[in-house]
Amino acid sequence: MTSREHLRYLAYLGAFLVFLAVLPFQIGVYYRSFVMFTMMWVVLALSWNIISGYTGYISFGHVVFYGVGSYASAILVADHGWPWIPTLLVGAVVGLAVAILIGYPVLRLKGPYFAIAMLGAAEGTRVLVTVWDSLTHGGLGINLPNVENSMETYFAMLALMVVTILVSYWVGHSRFGIRLNAIREDELAAEALGVNTTLYKMAAFSLSAVFPAIAGGIQANKTLYINPDGEFLLLITITMTLMTMFGGKGTVIGPIVGAILLYLFQEVVWVKFPFFHLIMFGAFLILVARFMPRGIVGLFIARGWARKGMVH
Amino acid sequence: MEQAEIRRVYLLGAFIVAAFATPFAVGAWSGNIFYDRQWLMDLITVCLNGLLQGGVYAMYGVGLTLIFGVMRIINVAHGEIVMLGAYLTWVLFNAPEYLGLGWHLDPLLTMVITLPIAFALGFAIQKVLLNAVVGGPELTPLLITFGVGIAMINLVEWIFTTDYHTIPYQPDAFHITETIFVGKNKIISFAMALAISLGVFLFLKLHRLGKAIRATAQNPEVAMVCGIDVQRIYLVTFGLGAALASAGGALVSIQFGFNPETGVQYTVVAFAIIVLGGRGHYLGAMLGAVLLAVLENLVSFMVPNGSAMVEMAAYTMIVGVLLIRPQGLLGVKET
Repeated sequence: MTSREHLRYLAYLGAFLVFLAVLPFQIGVYYRSFVMFTMMWVVLALSWNIISGYTGYISFGHVVFYGVGSYASAILVADHGWPWIPTLLVGAVVGLAVAILIGYPVLRLKGPYFAIAMLGAAEGTRVLVTVWDSLTHGGLGINLPNVENSMETYFAMLALMVVTILVSYWVGHSRFGIRLNAIREDELAAEALGVNTTLYKMAAFSLSAVFPAIAGGIQANKTLYINPDGEFLLLITITMTLMTMFGGKGTVIGPIVGAILLYLFQEVVWVKFPFFHLIMFGAFLILVARFMPRGIVGLFIARGWARKGMVH
Repeated sequence: MEQAEIRRVYLLGAFIVAAFATPFAVGAWSGNIFYDRQWLMDLITVCLNGLLQGGVYAMYGVGLTLIFGVMRIINVAHGEIVMLGAYLTWVLFNAPEYLGLGWHLDPLLTMVITLPIAFALGFAIQKVLLNAVVGGPELTPLLITFGVGIAMINLVEWIFTTDYHTIPYQPDAFHITETIFVGKNKIISFAMALAISLGVFLFLKLHRLGKAIRATAQNPEVAMVCGIDVQRIYLVTFGLGAALASAGGALVSIQFGFNPETGVQYTVVAFAIIVLGGRGHYLGAMLGAVLLAVLENLVSFMVPNGSAMVEMAAYTMIVGVLLIRPQGLLGVKET
């Protein structure tokens, strides 16, 4: 891909950015938070995509980073009186530390075993957070001081989303990303060709952990109440997965499109039916996994509506 | 066995011993251990209860291990099938009462009805959703079964709400000595679990279909060449796994409370069991079930905050065993 094309995509992103920067001043608090949460899901889906889309290691417990990020931020704000923006950086560091702690051993596992171990790691962290009540207030959760910060959280999330998109774009177009793809296709062959697979997997895993940790921190400061069951919910991991799959995994545009469409649909249609909407969610998950494993983007490529290079 | 392999076996043994020692260490540290006769009797009771609970665990463990061993599919909806089995049993138990007859159906007798229903359900899930994705990328079946599970949870929640239920069945205690006693329902459920797993074990060892299932687990291609209808074996296997899970559900319903959301716990327990015992290994699953159940009971007995930390036992087992020896206690190394 030529540098001109890179510039063109950068221009698209710039236009998108200008639109999103002007938008919050034109709409009320409800819609502002709605757009904020849409951006959060874009961040989460893109992050999941970095490890699972490019490298093929299915992280079935990715919510753990979101959870520890939100807890790090909430504890510092509620118990230590920090202003909330610097706590996001602490959250990122904690997310990174947890990623290294979990990833170093667990990334040696392959295929379904990695998925199970990640699930175990995430649920185990949830139990630890529940039990360690001197630090985390246990199952009661943490209440944050009540403030109206929809504008600040909006712009924080917007900045985070832009960084995530840029990093994903870089991963998709760099040697780094190509090596990750090589690991996905055949790890042994990649290793034989001189790719330091352990290092690359760790790098991808850490990268994919930082953004959810920050997103979790912003979310905690927006919703102002967190508890272990809500922050370490398996359904959040599944939603990230579904969004990425629905859009098209292993691409940059796929998770973005998937997250926006699905969140929109979820908010507008599904929430009207409390139990039924989760039944529908399950059915939709089955349909996507069964019939469109390459997602919308894959469909576009198969029909010849999009060039392969364009969507990476 | 090569040197590294032997070292891993020892390491795994050490890990499990350490896992069993941990609740004692924590208990001693937090003052939950008393060095008298009464406490010792309580400890024996707890271990006995764990052993009996292992029977229930084995029911869902062997179902999952069967499915995994034959198809290399992780059935995330396994716990939900257990939960469904418990609900079916509960509904049948209460059905005559609702009809104004004034008596209840025996929850063990209803297995005659619930097991075939679960078998048909598993058969249908495999036929409609999973047969086409066996051998493909592992994410697809993972997501499909998760979708099935989430649909089941919310369907049951829609119909029966999130209230906890249980079936009062033989609740009085059976005294072994003056101080050591266990619930009669636990003994009955253990005996039932033992009988069913033994039956399925013999079926797998001796029956033609069972042999075909084992052959498919070993090598589906060679099995196909030998004239085994592999697709049909997949259907039967998933059906059998689901039936075993629902049998587990029936046993759950007579001694524990359950609600639509407890299914996830059963799934995790089943995972831990098959990882511990060796995935795809039938006897390994039974061994893993007993080990895990005893460990869980020790944790809830001695560790402060035990009821929350119980779940930790399963997660530690999953991650620890996968890291030390992915094939578990009895499994063989995959090539």
